[in-house]
Amino acid sequence: MSHETPTIAANQRQQVGTRYARRLRQAGRIPAVIYGHGKDPMAIEMDEKETLTQLHMGSHVINIDVDGGSVETCLVKDLQFGYLGDNVIHLDLTRVNLDEEVTVNVQLNFSGSPEASKKPGNILVFDMNELEVRCKVRDIPEEIKVDLGNMLESYNVGELTLPDGVEALTEPETSVARIQFVQEEDLDQEAAEIEGDSSPEVIGESDAKADGDGGGEESSSD
Amino acid sequence: MPLMPKRIKFRKQQRGRLRGNATRGNYVSFGDFGLQALEPHWITARQIEAGRIAAQRFLRRQGKIYIRLFPDKPVSKKPLETRMGKGKADTDFWAARVKPGTMLFEIAGVPESLAKEAMARVAHKMPVRCRFVGRRLAV
Repeated sequence: MSHETPTIAANQRQQVGTRYARRLRQAGRIPAVIYGHGKDPMAIEMDEKETLTQLHMGSHVINIDVDGGSVETCLVKDLQFGYLGDNVIHLDLTRVNLDEEVTVNVQLNFSGSPEASKKPGNILVFDMNELEVRCKVRDIPEEIKVDLGNMLESYNVGELTLPDGVEALTEPETSVARIQFVQEEDLDQEAAEIEGDSSPEVIGESDAKADGDGGGEESSSD
Repeated sequence: MPLMPKRIKFRKQQRGRLRGNATRGNYVSFGDFGLQALEPHWITARQIEAGRIAAQRFLRRQGKIYIRLFPDKPVSKKPLETRMGKGKADTDFWAARVKPGTMLFEIAGVPESLAKEAMARVAHKMPVRCRFVGRRLAV
């Protein structure tokens, strides 16, 4: 972590369940749970704005100050989203030591544009936006910088410059970004294809037909 | 050519109901921005194709478009001036079942302003209210 671990004040939740969680969200709080390290799980609630700000800044580890007493160092394990799939409605936090090795996904921050992508018809396609890495909790980077300025046709995981103590779990041959050629669409051909509309093959129907015609011969169709 | 399955197990299907919200395919997975449905509806293969063409003509070989829905539901229709009965009619069109939250299209490799305009053109071809979304928060 290149910056200090942020500390967020939290309160322990006495009442749990959908109804109480919904009331918390309406009041600008976000429900969460802390578990791990052989201790009992603890239901807490935190300030939504502060928590989301830290998450958007790429923080993976947060110090949770529960009721102004004990401070727990936690790793954000999981996020739960609302029905449209984008607003965070719940956090899973797991207790960690700063010297513990963990597996996390880190955002890739792309910069620069390769020469090849400037040619007409060529586009730069990103195959991954985050990288799975294994490292100590204190070494978790907020983001991994990827400079695509010198990229030729593709940029693989093996070419990434990772901070010290950070190991990529993805295969080195896996593509991070590549140049793709986009063909121009042929509108006349498309129109012809639409006219020649066909219906799909029914599985088993052609076999049954062949059996009926062939008088029990083995069908050749698949 | 409009999308449709290559092979099917049964030629006709019952109509079914569209209840609840999308719990899968409801966030941007492949591209940078997406078009998300806010209402439940059947979207026909022709409407999907119209959306794809609208976006591609606007982008002119820039960016990549991902179609996140597939019309795998056969919808039958009786011919005009036909008496009722005599069994279920033949398939008239293929449709994709869309619930609120379903990601319809995604786009990659273009700036946000261009993606927004392209998706606005696609949204005009869709029979549902849509919204433009970006990638969601990840940990």
